[in-house]
Amino acid sequence: MHIMEGFLPWQWCLVWWIIALPCLMLGIYQLKKVLALDREALPLLGVTGGFIFILSSLKLPSVSGSCSHPTGTGLSTISFGPWITAVVCAIVLLFQSLFLAHGGLSVLGANIVSMGIVGPLAGYSVYRLLRDTSVNIYVTVFLVTALADMFTYVTTSLQLALAYPAETGGFMSSFILFMGIFAVTQIPLAIVEGIVLALVFKYILMLKPDILIRLKIFSEEKINAARSES
Amino acid sequence: MAYKYTLELLTGIAIVAFCAMFLYTSATMSGAEFAGSDNVGSGLVAKLSGNPVENFQPLIAQWEPPSGEIEACLFALQAAFGGILVGGVFGFWFGQAQGKNAE
Repeated sequence: MHIMEGFLPWQWCLVWWIIALPCLMLGIYQLKKVLALDREALPLLGVTGGFIFILSSLKLPSVSGSCSHPTGTGLSTISFGPWITAVVCAIVLLFQSLFLAHGGLSVLGANIVSMGIVGPLAGYSVYRLLRDTSVNIYVTVFLVTALADMFTYVTTSLQLALAYPAETGGFMSSFILFMGIFAVTQIPLAIVEGIVLALVFKYILMLKPDILIRLKIFSEEKINAARSES
Repeated sequence: MAYKYTLELLTGIAIVAFCAMFLYTSATMSGAEFAGSDNVGSGLVAKLSGNPVENFQPLIAQWEPPSGEIEACLFALQAAFGGILVGGVFGFWFGQAQGKNAE
């Protein structure tokens, strides 16, 4: 999902930076608040952030004949919401910009918006929709993770289509072309990522249910029900 | 017992299916280069804008890993950092849970 350095006109770089910066500031504020309220949230942040580091470094081959990487933002989105997730993603993307030439400083705002903001926001909407229903916790984690991953790539397609509308067909035609590259490659990866992170969430739930209850990630009844099934 | 490990089983099946899809694609799809989708996307940008890829110069100068090996090493370091975080915390939690059980 990385837009490479130099591949977005500066005007669009500026637009995405202007959108990303307030979200990052909100994320830093929320992070300080969460850690001040409960220091036990720090290890959970370590695990959920750790998966963003791991999964976003894995370039995997897909059915489209090209490679892409998962984003790993689902667990952090469920545990801490999209704004704190944006901060963690910004750190990962900054590392990749500086040391791996994946992305770049001018396009960092655009990449933060896709991987750290829109993807997690899409996942978070599903989480809020399903959190208080009878839908199984692991199905919720799967859907949040897979959708956060998919929407990251949909957003990248949108960002590139906005900057480079096709001569015939304009924005929509261009958007479909970019979706053909990014989204098709991503579908199997998003499904596997959803299943793997649902399994990871099971182990968090088994080892540390109290922090999930204190942070009100899921209700105590739902967590106890999931624990008794496992 | 089977129900208890449903997620583990599903994860195993998903990973095996994913690997099988890769093997099938690489065997049957002619011209599958398995290049990064980022690069394929950049190629489409070049096509749509009518500018060759080489014309897209960084707006802010950036360091590039001098070889593919060094790039792979840095990606591995990124994954290792994540792995240390995840392993460290799970170990910490596991120790805490064992301590509680011992009490």
